[in-house]
This record gives sequence, structure tokens and C-alpha cells, in this order.
Amino acid sequence: MNQPRRRRHVGRWLLAACIVIACVAFAIMWRPAIAPLAAIPTFDQTRIERGANLARLGMCASCHTPDLAKPFAGGKPMETPFGIVHSTNITPDNDTGIGRWSQEAFTRSMRKGVSRDGHLLYPAFPYNHYTRMTQADIDDLYAYFMTRPALHAPARDNQMTFPFGLRPLVAFWNVLYLDDAPWQTDPKQSAEWNRGAYLADAVAHCAACHTPRTMLGGPDLSRPLDGGEADDWYAPALNARSPSPLPWTREQLHAYLRSGIAEDHAAAGGPMQDVVTHLAQADERDVAALAAWTHSHLAQAPARTTPAQQSASLPAPKADDPDLQRMQAGYALYANACARCHDAGRSPSSGAALPLQKAVALYDPDPRSLIHIVDDGIAPPDGEPGRWMPGYETILTDEQTGALAAYLRKYGAGQPAWPELNDAVRKARAP
Amino acid sequence: MTTYRLQVNGKQHAVDLDPDTPLLYVLRNELELNGAKFGCGLGQCGSCTVLVDGKSVMSCLVPVSAVGGRAVRTVEGLGSVDKPGVLQQAFIDEQAAQCGYCIAGMIMQATALLEKTPAPTDAQIRTHMSPNLCRCGTHMRILRAVRRAADVLAKQAAGAKG
Repeated sequence: MNQPRRRRHVGRWLLAACIVIACVAFAIMWRPAIAPLAAIPTFDQTRIERGANLARLGMCASCHTPDLAKPFAGGKPMETPFGIVHSTNITPDNDTGIGRWSQEAFTRSMRKGVSRDGHLLYPAFPYNHYTRMTQADIDDLYAYFMTRPALHAPARDNQMTFPFGLRPLVAFWNVLYLDDAPWQTDPKQSAEWNRGAYLADAVAHCAACHTPRTMLGGPDLSRPLDGGEADDWYAPALNARSPSPLPWTREQLHAYLRSGIAEDHAAAGGPMQDVVTHLAQADERDVAALAAWTHSHLAQAPARTTPAQQSASLPAPKADDPDLQRMQAGYALYANACARCHDAGRSPSSGAALPLQKAVALYDPDPRSLIHIVDDGIAPPDGEPGRWMPGYETILTDEQTGALAAYLRKYGAGQPAWPELNDAVRKARAP
Repeated sequence: MTTYRLQVNGKQHAVDLDPDTPLLYVLRNELELNGAKFGCGLGQCGSCTVLVDGKSVMSCLVPVSAVGGRAVRTVEGLGSVDKPGVLQQAFIDEQAAQCGYCIAGMIMQATALLEKTPAPTDAQIRTHMSPNLCRCGTHMRILRAVRRAADVLAKQAAGAKG
């Protein structure tokens, strides 16, 4: 007797719950369009210049300028675990760029990740960092972009895996990861440190690569700066877990961030080369501030080796090495290919390349960065000067590269062997 | 000394060498194939570029022990004075040499590109050729020569199909 009534009750409650959930979901996901701008206003030159500096510190061109001939016209494909996202045109073109975006619309995109027409942007655009920029800085960036040459470049179609093609879903990512509380300075720290902290978080978005990500592609907030990844390179931890063999000095960090080279300490490779290309063009005082902030974190890391170990030539494998054959193969490759540049004193022509026991890639928790450097070498970005190391992908077989990496890890860094090293080589080389 | 069996331009060779001998020295000194040049010895200039398994390598950096049974090709394998290969002819037609020291390496680097990417864009040509330096400043002619060779090969392919 009671059952049908109870069922009806349950049905009503379910219906009510569905309506409430739909309303909440709609409120979370739906954003209105902002009226198009009638005409681009004029901007003060000093604002434009400040914006230019911020664009360099934020490395906007890194994603939005894949083609140097078309600054900020977008179109760079970015592989994510959720599909391929393309950067968009942020020149003031009326039809394909942000020419009709008011300052309000631009601010909303930076703070909330919402396009002018109301659709949600993918968090490949790091608005979860930009959201903490000061309003004055966002306004200056707006002045800079609205005064760039307008270029016609329609957005390219993204190739997302189901269900991530549904942009409203990003709203739930925002609930988890978009913390738009304003930036707080730390009164216990110096003005320079605070400037660096602000730039690193809100503008340069260092944590986007140097903090590990969760399954949902958001920053793992329980492990800030614990080391993440970028383009299949390991992005080293910037805190006490830093794998750097000898601790960084502030001067070395400043030189590294400015030029990609810290003499006798490190050379930038992979995605970090792009970062330093942009920082090289930014205000040097801001780069110094970034170095001061980064150094305050890296200074917590212990030395992994002693300076004496650092200056010795790399030895031959020990006769009782349990993996002797492989280590000998690796050592032979080191001595005959790498040492010519990397082992000063071994032969008269050996030059200024970094001794490999100082190379941070040997101390990383996984071998990806080392494999990429061995395979692809180090070449400066197109049109930029810089160090040049030839790639060995065409020279060394998978087994040879694995043997070389295993030897360098053990006899260069003195660290425990990387598990699954051969798989990592094959994976890095997969087309 | 160890005996190594090398396959160069389709021929088998057996040579007695130290394992750390660079491939370039074997080619020039043992096999007397002097197309590939010694420039810097540090993989910085590309004048020693040859192909191993169809991929370009700087032979000054390749220990002979790392080559194994993989096929090596040098500029001598592309053609002769009487019958130059397509790329060689294109370099002649564009007069893409001044002192000529880098050219064998340039041609082998370009060979690796055109075998994998028969219709390259100009940007692809520039990027692919960027490891190889020419200190006479003939880069623009070299780029034109690679373009010309790509066009000739495209015409040949169209002719073969038609």
C-alpha cells in the first residue's frame, strides 16, 4: 500500500534535485557575452611599454607566436592529456582576434578564463595564474596587445578526446583550481622578493611546469614546485627537492634566467630555452627579482655531490660492476663522443661544454630530459644565438642511448639506476 | 685493434681499428673517401655529415664501434663527375659553393631531408639545414640548390607516374 506513494515521493525529490543540480551547473557553466568594442581606443606609450615587458615575463609569445612572421596570431598546437588545443589569435583583428574585446572582456579572460562571447577557455591558457595579476598590469597588457598589428588568423579546430570537447566542463575544473583571490605580498620579505614572487606566480607562471599536475590536469596544490613536466621534459623541482648537484647561487640563477647559461653550472635545454629567450628581453630588474625569489626556494636544497667529485674526470666502470657490459658500452660512448666537448683535459680540443657530473639532467628523478638532450642536442630557438650541441638520435641506437644514460647516471651522478630506462628511451623516440 | 665490418655506399669493407676511431677518420684514411671533411671535430660545423641508415650524422662524432652493420652513405655514393646526382647537379646549377669545403656535408644533409620529405617547405629546408655552416656565406645559394633539387625530383616523380 505504502510503496507507490513512497515511490512518488522519491520521484519528486529526484526531480527537484535534478532541477537544483541543473540550475547550479548552469550557473557554474554559463557566462554572458560582453558587448563588442566599437573602436580600439588610443593608449599611452608608457602603458604599452609596461605591457610589452609583462608580455615577455608572461611568455605570451611562447604559445601565441608559433610563426615569428606573425606575432601573436596563434595557431600553435599543444598536446595535453585531454587532446590537442591550439593557441588563438590575440592580435586586435576584429574578426579572428581580440579587436572587439573591451578592457572588461580582456580582464575577464585573464581572471576567469572566459572569452568575450562567453565560452570557456581551456586552462592550457594559464588564467589560473594570470587571475592574480594586478588590475594595472592587466590594463597595461591590454594596451600592448591592442596596439599590435592586427592579423587575420582564424582559430584552428582543437582535437579533444571525448568528453573534453565540451567546453562547459571546464567550469568544474575552475571550481577545483581557479583561485582568484588577489595577490598578497609577504611583509616579512623584501620588496624585491615580493616582486619576484608575484612575477613567478601571477605572470611567468613557473608552477605551470614546475609543479606536478593531477589526473585532471590541475596543479597538485599539495606539492608546490615539487617538479613537473613540459613537452615530455622533466621540469625540475624548485624547492628542497631540487635535483641540482650543487646548490644554485643567486648570481648563477640570474645569469641562467637571463641567458640560459650559468657558467660552469647549467645550460637551459628544451622548453626552458624558450623561457630564457623571453626573459632575455624583459626588464633586467624583474629577472633579478625572479632570481631572488627562485633562489630563496632552491637554497633549501642540499648539495648532491661535493665540489671535488664535480671536478674529476668521469671514471671507467669498476671491474666488479654487476652491469659491467652495459656500463662499458656506455663509458665507451661517453669517452668517444661526449668527452670530446664535455670532459675538459681529456683531449686538447675539449672545450667549454658543461662537465656532465654537473649536469642536472643526470640527477633528475626520471631520465626524460637527459634522453631528449642526447637525442635532440641543444639548439637555440630559431634566429637566436646560443650554445649548440648536436643531437645523437641519428647516431645512437636505443640500446646505446640506454647504456650511455645508465653509465652517466651511475658514474657521473652516483645516483641509483633509473627504473625502466630502456622503455623511457623507446618512448622518447616514438614518432 | 678490432676488426670492423662496414657497409659504405653499398660495398662491404673490413678494417682493423681502435674502437674509438671516429667514422670520419675511417672514411677518409682507411677507405680513401675524401668527400666528407674534417672541420671542427666537435659536431659544430657539419662538414663531415654523412648518412647512417638514411639519417644524417656528423661522422666526426660517431665512434666506429657505434656504427655496427648500418649502411653508411657518403657524397661519393650519390654520383660521379660525369653523372652527378640530382642534388649534386642542383648545387652545380646554382653555383652553390665558394671554397666548397662544406658542400659535401651540405649535400648529404639535404639528401637526408629529401629522402624523407620529398616536397619540403622553405621553412623545413632552413630548419633541416641549420646544423651545417658555410663560412663563405653561400647559404642563400645552398637553400636555392636544395629547393631546385626538390623541384626536379617532384617533376621526375610526376613523370614516372604519368
